[in-house]
Amino acid sequence: MSADVSAAGPTMGRRDFLKALVFISGAVVVAGMLRGLDFLMPPEIGVTAFPRLLLVDENGNPIKASELPVNADPKIAIFPYPLNNEPSFLFNLGDSSGKPVKIPPTTVVVPQTGATYEAPGGVGPYGSIVAFSAICQHLGCQFPELTFYPPGHKAITAKGFLDRVINCSCHGSTYDPYKGGAVVTGPTERPLPSVVLEWDPNTDYLYAVKMVGPVIYGHPGYTTPTPKVLANPLGDLQGGSPIKGKTTAVTFHTNPAATG
Amino acid sequence: MSKRSITDWFAEVFHLKDTPFMGVPDYMFSVEHWLGGIAASALAWQILTGLLLLFYYEPSDAYTSTMGIINTVPFGSIILSSHLYGAYVMIIAVYLHGLYIMFNGGYKKPRGLQWVLGVLLFALTLGVAFIGYSLTGDVLATDAVDVGKGILTSLGLQSLIPVLFGNGTQLDLFSRLLAWHITIAAAIILFFLIHFYLAEQNGLMPRGRDVGYKAPAVINKADPSLKPWWPRNFVYMVGLAFMVWGIIVLAPSILALPSVYHNIPILFSPYPGPSPTSPQAASVPAYPPWFFLFMYKMADMPFGLSKDVIIGMILPLVILLLIPAFDRSEHLHPMDRPGITALGLIGLTWLIELSVWSVLQPGVPVSPSWAAVVMLPPLLIIAVGVYAIHRFVWPKARDKALNGNAKAGEGKKEWALSKSAASALGYIAGIWAIIDIALSLALNPLAAGPYIGLLWGSALLSLSAAVFSYFYASYL
Repeated sequence: MSADVSAAGPTMGRRDFLKALVFISGAVVVAGMLRGLDFLMPPEIGVTAFPRLLLVDENGNPIKASELPVNADPKIAIFPYPLNNEPSFLFNLGDSSGKPVKIPPTTVVVPQTGATYEAPGGVGPYGSIVAFSAICQHLGCQFPELTFYPPGHKAITAKGFLDRVINCSCHGSTYDPYKGGAVVTGPTERPLPSVVLEWDPNTDYLYAVKMVGPVIYGHPGYTTPTPKVLANPLGDLQGGSPIKGKTTAVTFHTNPAATG
Repeated sequence: MSKRSITDWFAEVFHLKDTPFMGVPDYMFSVEHWLGGIAASALAWQILTGLLLLFYYEPSDAYTSTMGIINTVPFGSIILSSHLYGAYVMIIAVYLHGLYIMFNGGYKKPRGLQWVLGVLLFALTLGVAFIGYSLTGDVLATDAVDVGKGILTSLGLQSLIPVLFGNGTQLDLFSRLLAWHITIAAAIILFFLIHFYLAEQNGLMPRGRDVGYKAPAVINKADPSLKPWWPRNFVYMVGLAFMVWGIIVLAPSILALPSVYHNIPILFSPYPGPSPTSPQAASVPAYPPWFFLFMYKMADMPFGLSKDVIIGMILPLVILLLIPAFDRSEHLHPMDRPGITALGLIGLTWLIELSVWSVLQPGVPVSPSWAAVVMLPPLLIIAVGVYAIHRFVWPKARDKALNGNAKAGEGKKEWALSKSAASALGYIAGIWAIIDIALSLALNPLAAGPYIGLLWGSALLSLSAAVFSYFYASYL
């Protein structure tokens, strides 16, 4: 080591400057590598288009539209669509005597934005079969909290005792399945999304083909029901595992609103 | 000045000036005294990346979820491949640390328990690495698990198979491997903390010539000429950790580059091998991870599996554990302890021989004559050679070697870097690290994983160089 350097060493100022640079360099490296926390962002899963799925029972036999119980009384039918974590109600709606009633297509208003969309009418031999997302648009409660109150079985709502509605016992949101899932009472500001069904009169089979209305609760874009989203809620296709195969299984559950 | 006060503030809030960690003499700022620190830095990287991997690993879908981390998760290829190479670096560091201690008598009083914990940490490290390697569910992992079952059975421990590997379903297998991987990692952390605590309490072992090559080798911590732990040891440790992490990130990223990846032998591949059900699986030699190659060849030996396992794994561990009991002399110099020195050299030679042999002839049964031809010459040459040197050469050379060393050591600083040059290096390295990171921001973490890893590794190494330059210019 040469004498002049070892005796004096670098001046304090120079050493401080090196120290500052090492600090800055360390901070930049650590901050730059924090970008690696993107690792925690899971890859998107889902499908790219709405699948056309045949509705089958748990044994894989197709559901016959003419044999579907009316008014979800005492059993309510639920099937996943378009992804596995997106349950939907399947209703054969009727009047108080249990006869199916024709459900016409209707224009539904979204209270949150005032935007509207066309909900499909009923299908099947009586035009009475409709399907809706079974996840409440308010805060995501599902069946059995969210369920259909058949004629004669009344829910307690902000507008008094009502039957023939879908009511959520979590926070009281109420929807009208006879009018495209439109909002009857809050706190929800968005209608229940509709599943568009097809009925094959030759075989009596039912198919789910797509969704209209707000994006299903919790999926990308569900809080922004713009007219474009309402007409084609592509967010439904993200955030869940795809359903394998060309069928989706309908399961039947005791409807607590009908037995209570 | 504000920079000054930040350091002081940092030292103050963490009470760094009052830490019970010992300061060390200048000569200890050299890598052979920090081999344990390298292993600990690698362990820290393993904990960090292991926890991150836990977010995606699915025991129900081991292979697919592992490959999914590489192919579909941002930065996933870097995290997974650096977790693999972090294990490799940790294993190599543990070997070097242990051998250095063994040859220099570091297991002697007062460090016997420290040595025993170290041997247990060595065994646990190999165990956790074996299980981690099996977690991928690739074709080699499947073989490894099957061989593990066979080894347990050969030792009469088949009742442990369900405990370790589950009831036979894939889900139970990988759920258990994951649980064991984390459990053993937790044990390693606990044992390491005790090991480190003992190292601080016993004090770091001084070089032989300062204690006349005699145990107990201890540094008087009250010696006023010892400079305190803060900030010198802290800064050196930070530089060392960045260096280790840089290597851990850089090495697999180079191997994962598209132009390199296909030429990498499966033993050093940064990613898992093919799935056991894929057609390519048939073309992969049934290698274990490289750190168990020695055992693979041992299992080909003509003694029968249970004896092979006892000779290859159990006996060496028992011998290592008992070394402090065998060698109770006060001598520290390797030539004064010919038995241990020869034992270490023979063990190391056999380890390397068996590993290389295993690569060249994977799974080829060994005939007794071949076993003798390969294993006996090193045993004889080393045993006779070390004894002969100890008996005939060492008595004449001893005095000069033990006392003359001191003089030779002092004169070694002639090549040393000037402090201005070190500062200049520090500036360059610091700026280089910043440039690396800036460049990495332009790359897509999914498409360009290995390139980002290259830049990150380079940045970490540059940062380490800057810290070491600062350390050299300021504290030596």
